[in-house]
Amino acid sequence: MKTCIAAMPSYTYVLKGEKLLKARGYPCEIKRNETTSKDGCGYSLHIYSDCHKAAEILEKYSVPYTIRKYGGV
Amino acid sequence: MIINFDNAATTYPKPENVKKAALNAMEKFGGNAGRGGHALAMRTSEAVYSARETIADFFDAQPENVVFALNCTHALNMAIQGVMSGGGHLIISGMEHNSASRPAAELARNKKITLSIAQVYPDDRRTVESFRSLIHDDTKAIVCTLASNVTGQILPYREIAEICHKRNICFIADGAQACGILDVKLSDGINILCTAGHKGLYGITGTGLLITDGKYKIKPVMQGGTGSASSSLNQPDFLPDSLESGTLNITGAMTIKAGIEFINKIGMEKIFAHEDRICRSFISSLRKNKDIIIYRNPESSYVPIVSFNIKGVMPEKTASLLAQNGYCLRAGYHCSALAHTQLGTENGTVRFAPSVFSSENDALKLAELVKNVTVSEKYKKTIEII
Repeated sequence: MKTCIAAMPSYTYVLKGEKLLKARGYPCEIKRNETTSKDGCGYSLHIYSDCHKAAEILEKYSVPYTIRKYGGV
Repeated sequence: MIINFDNAATTYPKPENVKKAALNAMEKFGGNAGRGGHALAMRTSEAVYSARETIADFFDAQPENVVFALNCTHALNMAIQGVMSGGGHLIISGMEHNSASRPAAELARNKKITLSIAQVYPDDRRTVESFRSLIHDDTKAIVCTLASNVTGQILPYREIAEICHKRNICFIADGAQACGILDVKLSDGINILCTAGHKGLYGITGTGLLITDGKYKIKPVMQGGTGSASSSLNQPDFLPDSLESGTLNITGAMTIKAGIEFINKIGMEKIFAHEDRICRSFISSLRKNKDIIIYRNPESSYVPIVSFNIKGVMPEKTASLLAQNGYCLRAGYHCSALAHTQLGTENGTVRFAPSVFSSENDALKLAELVKNVTVSEKYKKTIEII
């Protein structure tokens, strides 16, 4: 399965992102970033689905994110 | 015996589900929202987000644009100082609470902005015209209460919002006496809505809200820890973090959520109808006595607040006599210097403000007591003259 990690600037946004994606059938979960980014500590949304489509949804609802990693399971 | 008719200051009692929410928050949500990744922090963060969602749904906003504040005063200070940080012209209504008029006056006194005060009339058209006539090219924002905390008069906020929209002026609304009573929405044309959490929304004291449509940048008046962008010395520029420095009142947030759920369950229209009926009965009883002045005008609409005075009796004296019988009413200026200047009530008024828990019977008993005060104070004066 494809997976990606979308870093969000705050917990508010990561929760908004999670709710938007789950409501549309995109499995995902919130995790605390294990390594700090240049911005400092934070949260990421681990998306276990089509990342491009998930990203489109996040963009449509103005959820800011940075894709930290693309990969497969 | 306590019979509270001072609900415009803060509602009491609180609904059962609000009390339960406060206890539940202290028992269950003991983490720090948005900080850390352990189970307690995550659980608490989710709870706070759910409160943002409930509030956002209620006011037709986005959850991330819901900012928790200490009270309505705090929210108004953030809005006024934040929007006017670059200077410009500000208009406020002549019925503003000190929570809006003082920060505005302070900015003007320090020559950071220019300030105009729009007269409020019983006729909405004249009020709207009063605002319109003060607008000029440099006007950056209008601050207007949705309903006066002194008389309860509902201001023509939708019409004022429309003017703001057309002229690209930020419309900041004080919803302290309207939210939970009137169906206030950002879609009414409000850019920034400031309100208390502990009045008509039935949350606990120490809670307030700033809700924005995000159109106008609000420069933070306070900086600090937000749990985000932590390696930077700069305050985050995104909401709600930019305006929420330091640990949130998590218990408070949960009580606002519960308060809104309580309102939704009963229905806002029913709440308004109940409180309005109590006010009308109270007024109807008082009007039988010509020594009682009621500050209402048939041309205006009102939220359930009634300001009155007994001729020749100081408002504080009236409230004190009523308090001896267990009735809690606030007297004086109600922190609204401008409103009393407009009303010509140099000694203030006595304010009657029921809640959803008030009863018509109690209001009618109170009205009888007020009439007795009128008679007894008159009698005392007669004796003094003799």
